[in-house]
Amino acid sequence: MRSTSVRAGRWTLLRWLGRTFLGLAVVATIAFVALVAGLAYLLAHASWQSIRTFGFGFLTGTTWDPIHNIYGAAPAIAGTLITSGLALLFAVPISLGVAIFLAEIAPRWVRRPLAYAVDLSAAIPSVVYGFWAYIVLVPLMRTTVEPALARWSGGRFPFSSTPIGYDLLTATLVLTIMILPTISALSREALLAVPRIHRESALSLGATRWEATRIGVLKSARGGITAGVVLGLGRALGETIAVTMVIGNIFILPNSLFSEGATLASWIVDTFPDATPGIDRSAVLELALILLIITFAINGVARWLLRRGRNPDDDGAPPHRSWWDRLRARRTRAPSLPTAELDPLGPEPWRARAAERAASRRRRRRAVQAAVVGLTAFCLLLALAPFASVIATAVERGGSLVIQPSFYTSLPPIGCNPHPGVTCQVGGIGPEIQGTLIMLGLGALVAMPGGLLIGICLAEYGRGRLARVVSLLADVMTGVPTIILGVFVFTFFLYADHDATLSALSGGVGLGVLMLPITARATEEALGTVPAAVRESALALGFPRHRVTLRVALKSSRAVLVTGLLLAASRAAGDTAVLLLTAGGSSFYFHSLDTETAAITPFIFDNFGSNYQNLQAAAWGAALVLLIIMLVIGLSARLAVAARADAAEATG
Amino acid sequence: MSGESAKLRAVGLNAWYGRRQALYDVSLDIPTGQVTAIVGPSGCGKSTFLRCLNRLHEEVPRARTSGQILLDGEDLMRQDPVTVRFRVGMVFQKPSPFPHTSIYDNVAAGLRLMGVRRRDELDQGVVRALMLAGLWEEVEDKIDAPGEGLSGGQQQRLCIARALAVEPEVLLMDEPCSALDPIATHRIETLIQSLKGRFTVVVVTHNLFQARRVSESTAFFYLGKLVEFGPTATIFESPREKLTENYVTGRFG
Repeated sequence: MRSTSVRAGRWTLLRWLGRTFLGLAVVATIAFVALVAGLAYLLAHASWQSIRTFGFGFLTGTTWDPIHNIYGAAPAIAGTLITSGLALLFAVPISLGVAIFLAEIAPRWVRRPLAYAVDLSAAIPSVVYGFWAYIVLVPLMRTTVEPALARWSGGRFPFSSTPIGYDLLTATLVLTIMILPTISALSREALLAVPRIHRESALSLGATRWEATRIGVLKSARGGITAGVVLGLGRALGETIAVTMVIGNIFILPNSLFSEGATLASWIVDTFPDATPGIDRSAVLELALILLIITFAINGVARWLLRRGRNPDDDGAPPHRSWWDRLRARRTRAPSLPTAELDPLGPEPWRARAAERAASRRRRRRAVQAAVVGLTAFCLLLALAPFASVIATAVERGGSLVIQPSFYTSLPPIGCNPHPGVTCQVGGIGPEIQGTLIMLGLGALVAMPGGLLIGICLAEYGRGRLARVVSLLADVMTGVPTIILGVFVFTFFLYADHDATLSALSGGVGLGVLMLPITARATEEALGTVPAAVRESALALGFPRHRVTLRVALKSSRAVLVTGLLLAASRAAGDTAVLLLTAGGSSFYFHSLDTETAAITPFIFDNFGSNYQNLQAAAWGAALVLLIIMLVIGLSARLAVAARADAAEATG
Repeated sequence: MSGESAKLRAVGLNAWYGRRQALYDVSLDIPTGQVTAIVGPSGCGKSTFLRCLNRLHEEVPRARTSGQILLDGEDLMRQDPVTVRFRVGMVFQKPSPFPHTSIYDNVAAGLRLMGVRRRDELDQGVVRALMLAGLWEEVEDKIDAPGEGLSGGQQQRLCIARALAVEPEVLLMDEPCSALDPIATHRIETLIQSLKGRFTVVVVTHNLFQARRVSESTAFFYLGKLVEFGPTATIFESPREKLTENYVTGRFG
């Protein structure tokens, strides 16, 4: 008797704790929505002065003149649209080739490693790509590619003006390289998601492998591929650091692809830190607001497409007819059936003719198949070449540093070039590593529990419309350019009248805001991988709902969850834009939470173009350290997920 | 069942998925112009056998085969799989019209692969195939609608029309009715009967009554081996093997 009442008391306590916990999750989710709303509101509020002063003229104005306070965004908008649009134009066909090769054509045993390589090239930090472009791509463009283009075109538009290497074309190529892995990976997933039966149906009609892909697979994968393309566009529009490093950053309306220019994001990086309070800063903030609106819309569309595509297509669902299908049906107007002169049951002389031509046709079809194999393999080569070159360059220039233990503990060197009789310090990146870890820890302190709670809330109540909207919002937030997050956090601290706008605290908050939506989505996805059967059988055994979530679901998805959190941390560690605007800079070890603090990525950004060899070398060392961390985390994450999937397949 | 009238001959056929062997030394003659049924409990290798006949088996990762399959006396393992599959068509368990593709384009897909380009020729081929599959009257006025909009049974007949449009010599059907209701099943069975003589048909089925209704010969597979093969009437009424008798009388399976 007594024991049952004790047990009942324990149950009550547990239930109370569980309820509190779920309540906390709901509160965290509401806080997240408030955060996003606050971000938009703060940017709008802070740029209000500029909006009121310039109106729509801001979008068309071509001068940026802080002396006379005349501001217009047209050159940055033009630069953004040109580079992103062209990058998309280059990246889409190559990505499709990569995806088709990896999903349909390549021998099975090479598919997985090659797909990993493509995926991992998406994990290379922006600042490392920029550094590589500065060292490898810009000289190549200046001395070889651009003069050749100028000669070929006779110096006509769009290849007029003198090739200098720092221009829209180079920026476009960097963007192309950076969005290739995104589009390739999503397109590949879309192709793999097409049921095997469509492929086999086409093969059974006597299709070659390429023909089967064309008639059986590509159409089904259309939604996912489109989403990948739109997501790639979003990434290109918001890409900041790498572009800033190669575009020249001059505020003019470009008249040629060899012309220097600026994008919205690169111009924000360039002007925000030095903008004076008042109309000057307000104008920069309006640029950020424009960028936020554009990328928010683009990412929203992409994520919505992805989610729609992921719905199980199966059984009984009414067929989805897009406007495109309807348009096509109208264009290929119905056959003239049944024709008076052509009896469907009459003789079919064309069959014999087709049979006669079959041999020569078969040769042609084989040639097409071979051409597709070659072409798609070439696309993969194109996609992987920059990846290989980045790693090779980093190892070549930073390899000798990262094997010295002192590199991880020393202060950065004092700038110096070797002379006869002078030995330069090698130095290290001790303060940078320390600062990154501290700010990452600060951010994680908020983002990890917060993201977990939000993710749990979304997974638990994910059926409702409201929860789906919040989940979509989190998805979209993962794609918002980090420069905007940096601007937001800086302005927030400014409004809060905090005197430490540039500080470790500010940097930590910035990284926290960056990681929050990523960890939330990772948690939601991880919990979503728990089979409904497991969940339901636990519920059927009489477990209360919160215990199912906390014990059963979290336990069975632990590996996936840890993986997601690690990936979030590695993205934060590799981000430059946020820290550049929030952490400030320092050459010394951490002092206090409200002073400027060193970090790895801003260190690379500050020294990539240094005239001092030892500083540039230290930056390469830092880049290599980052690369190694990213690649190790990225690879182990993929292996963990793959091992889990294989295990599931083996038992299932 | 003499060798000369065999359209397809399997000789000592083995098949594996990775290390797991799915077929053991199967030798079987499939007579020309008849309907042959393949029956047996789940996992007995009947679908694998069917998929070997148009070399679709090799599309599965790590799948392989040994032995011979003769199509009109020539080993199809040594031929171009594209040519083989053009001559040996297939219909799957689940109705699978190409997604986002109209009824017309579904049926025309194979013809276009053959190189037929002229509209009137395509029209003739499509209409004829749809008539053969008994679907023409039902879709005549919505030929441009997507194939996925049809009912399950209609979709399956659309898939049969798609396979028949290229006039294959052999039509393989992998449990074509298992996803359909009795009325749609009946229509497909009638259709299979009507294809007799013009095409050589091989049907894998779970449904013993169906095998009995549609086929002239029946093969019984068990655990990857061919247990017995003969005229359908013999298999069902006086089988030689005890195992076959137990299965066809419903004692297991």
